[in-house]
Amino acid sequence: MWQEYSIGLLLVFIAAVIAFFALVVEKDDLHRLLLLDLVEVPSLGIIALLGTDLAEALILPGLVVGIAELLALSQIYVTKEGLKERKVQGLNIEVIQADAPLIISVLLICYGVILSGFTGGGVAGLGVVFYFMARGHREHFELLEMASGISWAIWIFAFFVFMFIPEYWLLALFMAAIGILLKVIVKMSLVGTMWGDGNG
Amino acid sequence: MGMVNPGGIPYFILEFGDELVYFSPYTVSLFILALVFTIFAVIARPERQVDIVFGGDAFYAKETSLAELKIRRFMAIACGFASMGAMVTGDLFNFTLFISLVGICNVGIVAAVKNRHVQNAAYQYGIVALSATVPLFGAAALIAATTGTLSMVELWSNAALAVPLVVKALLVLGVMGEGMAPFYAAKAEMFRAPGAPYVIMCSLSSLLIFLRVIEVVLVI
Repeated sequence: MWQEYSIGLLLVFIAAVIAFFALVVEKDDLHRLLLLDLVEVPSLGIIALLGTDLAEALILPGLVVGIAELLALSQIYVTKEGLKERKVQGLNIEVIQADAPLIISVLLICYGVILSGFTGGGVAGLGVVFYFMARGHREHFELLEMASGISWAIWIFAFFVFMFIPEYWLLALFMAAIGILLKVIVKMSLVGTMWGDGNG
Repeated sequence: MGMVNPGGIPYFILEFGDELVYFSPYTVSLFILALVFTIFAVIARPERQVDIVFGGDAFYAKETSLAELKIRRFMAIACGFASMGAMVTGDLFNFTLFISLVGICNVGIVAAVKNRHVQNAAYQYGIVALSATVPLFGAAALIAATTGTLSMVELWSNAALAVPLVVKALLVLGVMGEGMAPFYAAKAEMFRAPGAPYVIMCSLSSLLIFLRVIEVVLVI
């Protein structure tokens, strides 16, 4: 077991050295930002090598902090370069302007709902993102935000059920699964609209 | 007890399962320092930086707009809370998380200033801070792998648990990257940003995490 850990560690460190080397050589600010994402991966790799439940619990906060820093940096980059929001009115591709996005989105959403939970939310969200990106739609964002907020409340409430009345765990499990599903869908669809129309 | 904590005997240890917070004379004094400066950041008004035109009587004052003031004050307070957490936590992974939060907040404090030089410096600092998460989280994970625990109390009270020197070095490297004041040339550029009480929060949090990481490295 220790031998496997050492080999894994060696590989991760080699990956980190390569990523850092790329960061040193690269001079363009935007490319450095992208390379940082690559640098981030070995740090998660080192944690993942623990291979226990603890590792799973440590990766999530590590990932969140990394993404938060990345978002902050990209925002600074946009401000610093004085980039303006570009108007993108849907994708100008013949297939996408027909009914294809609708069908693909419906399939993805159905599959996501069947999966449920975090993964399902991701898949269904991807469907909605795709739909919004294909059509330059104007939607009621307040409504989406509200749905997101309510589903988050359901999720938290389910956790309280887990902690205080654990005999209703099955109900809590369903509530948590639906809550996180809705939340991830809504969040990801918001990302899609922000990209598509520039008025999000 | 295997080793004596150089920070003094803890007054009490607050345990949330494995995650614990401990108050020793050393951590308490650092905590109070962070608390006092956070309160200062809450009540203080920003300075008005004045540039004198060389060779004449003219000067121009830089105004801080209300929106900018609000976000910077918020960031300074968040930075204060993150420093407070980093001062008293007894869990190594939480410590690294708090440290990287301090890093993000430091970037946030200066990034609100709409000045190209300041933004550029903040960006460069952010790049260093983000790449420093590799040694930082790496060190925490390696400590968990070699000793099987992340609790500092466990690490100093059990003499059998020894953290390799390389891992300690990685931890210090990570903390340095996240914002130890004396190691940053970029920070000097960041201090061009007007608005004294908030920028001082950057230096103060750097100083505090510098003092804390010494204690951490000594006890583990």
